[in-house]
Amino acid sequence: MTFGAHLPPWARQARVVLVKELVDSFRDKRALSSILLSILVGPLITGFMMNRIADRQREADDVRIPIVGARNAPALVQWLSQQSGVVVATGPTDPEQAVREQSEYVVLIVPSDYADDFRSSRPAGIKVVADSARADTRAQVQRVQGLLQQYNAEIGALRLIGRGVSPAAATPLKIEGVEVSTTQQRAAKLLSVIPLMVLLAAFTGAMQLATDATAGERERGSLEALLVNPVPRGALALGKVTASALSGMLAVMVTAGLCTALLRFIPLQELGMRFRFGTPHMVGLMAAALPLCLLTASVQSCVATLAKSFKEAQTYMGILILAPMLIGVMGTLYPIDHQPWMFGVPLLGQYVLLTSVLGGYSPGPLAFAAAALTCVASAALMLRATVALLNDERIVFGR
Amino acid sequence: MIAAIDLKKFFGPVAAVNGVTFTARDGQVTGLLGPNGAGKTTTLRMLYGVMRPDGGAIEVDHIDATRHPREAQARLGVLPDLVGLYPRLTAREQVHYYGELHGLSGEVLKARTDDLLKTLDLTHLAERRSAGYSHGERAKVAIARALVHEPQNVILDEPTNGLDVMSTRAVRAIIKRLKAEGKCVLFSSHVMQEVSALCDSIVVIAGGTVVAHGTPDELRAKAGYDNLEDAFVALAGAGEPR
Repeated sequence: MTFGAHLPPWARQARVVLVKELVDSFRDKRALSSILLSILVGPLITGFMMNRIADRQREADDVRIPIVGARNAPALVQWLSQQSGVVVATGPTDPEQAVREQSEYVVLIVPSDYADDFRSSRPAGIKVVADSARADTRAQVQRVQGLLQQYNAEIGALRLIGRGVSPAAATPLKIEGVEVSTTQQRAAKLLSVIPLMVLLAAFTGAMQLATDATAGERERGSLEALLVNPVPRGALALGKVTASALSGMLAVMVTAGLCTALLRFIPLQELGMRFRFGTPHMVGLMAAALPLCLLTASVQSCVATLAKSFKEAQTYMGILILAPMLIGVMGTLYPIDHQPWMFGVPLLGQYVLLTSVLGGYSPGPLAFAAAALTCVASAALMLRATVALLNDERIVFGR
Repeated sequence: MIAAIDLKKFFGPVAAVNGVTFTARDGQVTGLLGPNGAGKTTTLRMLYGVMRPDGGAIEVDHIDATRHPREAQARLGVLPDLVGLYPRLTAREQVHYYGELHGLSGEVLKARTDDLLKTLDLTHLAERRSAGYSHGERAKVAIARALVHEPQNVILDEPTNGLDVMSTRAVRAIIKRLKAEGKCVLFSSHVMQEVSALCDSIVVIAGGTVVAHGTPDELRAKAGYDNLEDAFVALAGAGEPR
């Protein structure tokens, strides 16, 4: 081992601890798979949902309308088939059963007295068979109902004109729906989940190692033996925290990589989003998120050292992870107005940077530097606190 | 050489160790003998630098251990009270880890590890992770990692506690070898036969103080019993507050 021969003894010892902790934790198959699962679930669900939204958008534009008794209403059928994206088909023999079995999402039934009623200007019955419990076909059913409303209004207006009445007299209200949550916006909201997932990865990735190397070390009864070695507590803490931070960084890289890979598969154009994710974005994501791992690792190590048991440490980890969730959820619900001071607040700064980068807007190197610097500085403070705890006999031998 | 000079340690109002003085010399095996709760482990913990004494001084090879704990620890090999291993590391890796923390590397570290694993009859476990080790195997690995840097002074806290006959013999063999090499060996025990068979010097402690100090023969003479166990009971009882 010639590399690092020039290092001072404490730094070499810290490196020995770092390597041991990494080897040790990467052999922990169960912990590794739980980390992997928590990292993978977010991006995969998001990607899946984005795809579904895109599919539904596509499906709603193209509707197939099976009609039972089409020959009772040739004018309506012709009008429908002239609408863009509409294909008229012959209806199944048992419409309700077909919808219930989900072989059709909607069936129109035109009764035999339709023609008579229509001709004598009585409201002509028409049935729309649909399953309102099915969320995935709601868009198509709404489209069909919208088309019928449109036909209804057109015929009604024509009849009024025929009787010398202005159609306006029959429409006292002019109702305009302003839809806030369009499909595009829903998709954009899903995209805004990516910064949250990257922040979460910085926590979940570092967590396992941080607890195992501190609370776990004590619970296993190996801490006392470790402290007998002529190693300054600072070197021990530095090695452990760095190992945990590296594990967090790996999780962040995997998450960001996975999200970008998914972005390539999702038909963003169909969702009306012009989003191009390239290398500069990736570099930006890393520059924003990687320094955070130093902080998450040191906070988690400190808290886990303070905990009386491994179980208690895990409980605290669960509480700590609420911090990024809170910021992420707030950011998704109420878009955060970016202020310069935010870059200097750990976690919030990273969130703002990540959303900026994904929004295709670069906040400038100064913002990145400020965010990284506050992270490293607070990580150093937490490291000092951890060293102080390791120097406390009550902590080392349990209280 | 390890010297404890008027060591004191309090846990709240309780004096766990209240003025313990003795010297463990090179080339000798010194036994720290006492009933449970006498303050043996606390005394040893102060000697090997994981607890700070509330009073008194510690010297390891004439180094003031309270002022230069790392220098003192570098000259100590310790089997502490708790000997947890890392379940996902092999026996060789556990020994290597401690060796590297002591600044060893390369061929030297490899040779010493091989030698220790062989001496302690652990070669078959060298590449196996410690998760499934027996109690005796764990204890022997813990001893191996404590000795990897060839320390001049060795402290063993109840090294044969809970071990079977074979493992106990292996540990005794190691203690004898260390003594023959001129090392200073200090170990604690409450097992009489072990202490009488191995020790050149015995420190009997009870109630946090040294109640007797001397060779096995001297202790027998002092207590007025031929049997060392009777002598121990008499001496230890004398220190117990009634």
